[in-house]
Amino acid sequence: MNKNQGSIRFTDASVVYPNGTVGMKDLNLEIRPGEFVVIVGSSGAGKSTLLRAINGLNRMTSGTVEVDGTKVPQKDGRELRVLRKRVGMIFQDFRLVKRLTVMSNVLIGRLAHVPGWRAMFNLWPAHDREVAMKALERVGITEKAWVKAAQLSGGQQQRVGIARALAQEPAIILADEPVASLDPVTTHQIMKDLVRINRELGITTLVNLHFLDLAKQYGQRIIGLRFGELVYDGSAANVTDEDFRDIYGRDFTEDDVLDEDAVGG
Amino acid sequence: MNVAPPRPARNWPLLLGTLGFLVGMTWWSGHGIGFSLTELLCNLPGGQRLLQESWPPDFAFLPRLYAPFMETIYIAIIGTVVGGILAIPIAVLAARNLTLGPIVWFADRNFMNILRTLPDLFWAMMFATAVGFGPVAGALALSVFTIAVISKLWSESLEAIDMGMPEAVRAAGGTWLQMIQFGAIPQGLQHYVSYALYAFELNVRASMVLGLVGAGGIGMILETQRANFEYERVTMIILAVLVAVLVIEQISESIRKRLA
Repeated sequence: MNKNQGSIRFTDASVVYPNGTVGMKDLNLEIRPGEFVVIVGSSGAGKSTLLRAINGLNRMTSGTVEVDGTKVPQKDGRELRVLRKRVGMIFQDFRLVKRLTVMSNVLIGRLAHVPGWRAMFNLWPAHDREVAMKALERVGITEKAWVKAAQLSGGQQQRVGIARALAQEPAIILADEPVASLDPVTTHQIMKDLVRINRELGITTLVNLHFLDLAKQYGQRIIGLRFGELVYDGSAANVTDEDFRDIYGRDFTEDDVLDEDAVGG
Repeated sequence: MNVAPPRPARNWPLLLGTLGFLVGMTWWSGHGIGFSLTELLCNLPGGQRLLQESWPPDFAFLPRLYAPFMETIYIAIIGTVVGGILAIPIAVLAARNLTLGPIVWFADRNFMNILRTLPDLFWAMMFATAVGFGPVAGALALSVFTIAVISKLWSESLEAIDMGMPEAVRAAGGTWLQMIQFGAIPQGLQHYVSYALYAFELNVRASMVLGLVGAGGIGMILETQRANFEYERVTMIILAVLVAVLVIEQISESIRKRLA
């Protein structure tokens, strides 16, 4: 993967939802190619808004987002699809077609790479099948390729979600609360997978998390949001309890950490 | 001990008022269509004669029903398949969460309403005039009828799907069509098959009636025998149709249950 790809730049970016909620306020932020960034903040702080602005799922009210120097188009169309092709997304609820096989789900990541008629009639080129299979290999579930997605455990389903994103051969991966529906053991496995993929392939990775200890453990750089505003931006190594207090606007509790002994630690 | 509160008194004025209103409405409507009890009683012997002439059913006539009966089934199959395929885009564009835009949605919704408002007999007569009396007219009429049934039911179940999957297809750079094919339709597939089978049941029944206006099939035989006062054959036809419809509905229903 090209090491010079996957930079993101927000310039005076704001998002106000039709109901008046502020999702993002005058954000200026630069993310360099290959970074592993964890975004924290309480619910409603604008974590999802930030991620979804990068692939145009949410539109800006003002300001701009650029990916590798190109503005993210603010309307549906070819240009936006060309951008999305290079940005993989991983969701909290996995978003797999449960009645289809794992392979079919991963091939959805190849939709933007093949002629429309081939995808329509399920005539995937050998190369694309290979890319999909390699993506499954990278998350270690090749043996499940022909199993229906519905038969997998939560952790396995999220691995398929990651494989689908990898099949896009993306420059950027956006993970929106990827571990929020998983148990603690699986959570650590998935987080480790994301870090490993980021290191191996140099894909710029942005992960939304609400567990503070996870953010500190796996983040390289931490971005804190509060009411849509950037309130913290620094390396994970230096982040303090005080900083987290600023981000959340309150003392943190057992609910904010995955492993309870991390409180006050 | 707990004592139940006394039973509230019945609202007699409301009950009597409602009853009076219903009786009044019925009398008024009967008057409107020229219904008279004396006339009905005078004509009862005629009805009795008809029943006597209709019994026993003419079983010798049964073999001659085979060909027109199969024609009826063919009409129903063609109508279900053609209408079922055409209903797919119409249903998708009528689903608020999937449609291409408010104008397309509005136009499609109204088109569906027009199809549904006009009865299948009307379509049969229209097509009989256009392409001539016979099974082709029947198949065309049932195609339209099937579009109306499936698109209405299915567009509503498509509106209830989880939009997460379609969004994931979009996020991966998929087109609108790919979002529909890979994100939406897999979720609505079970309902679609169920509605298509239901439409087939309706079509078998409807294609019998359509024959009355010259759209081929068993209805056409029924109409000729009735016009010739062959009432024992008419009874035979009705019995055969009854059995066939029951069997087909049983099969279709058991498939649909297994899908659910």
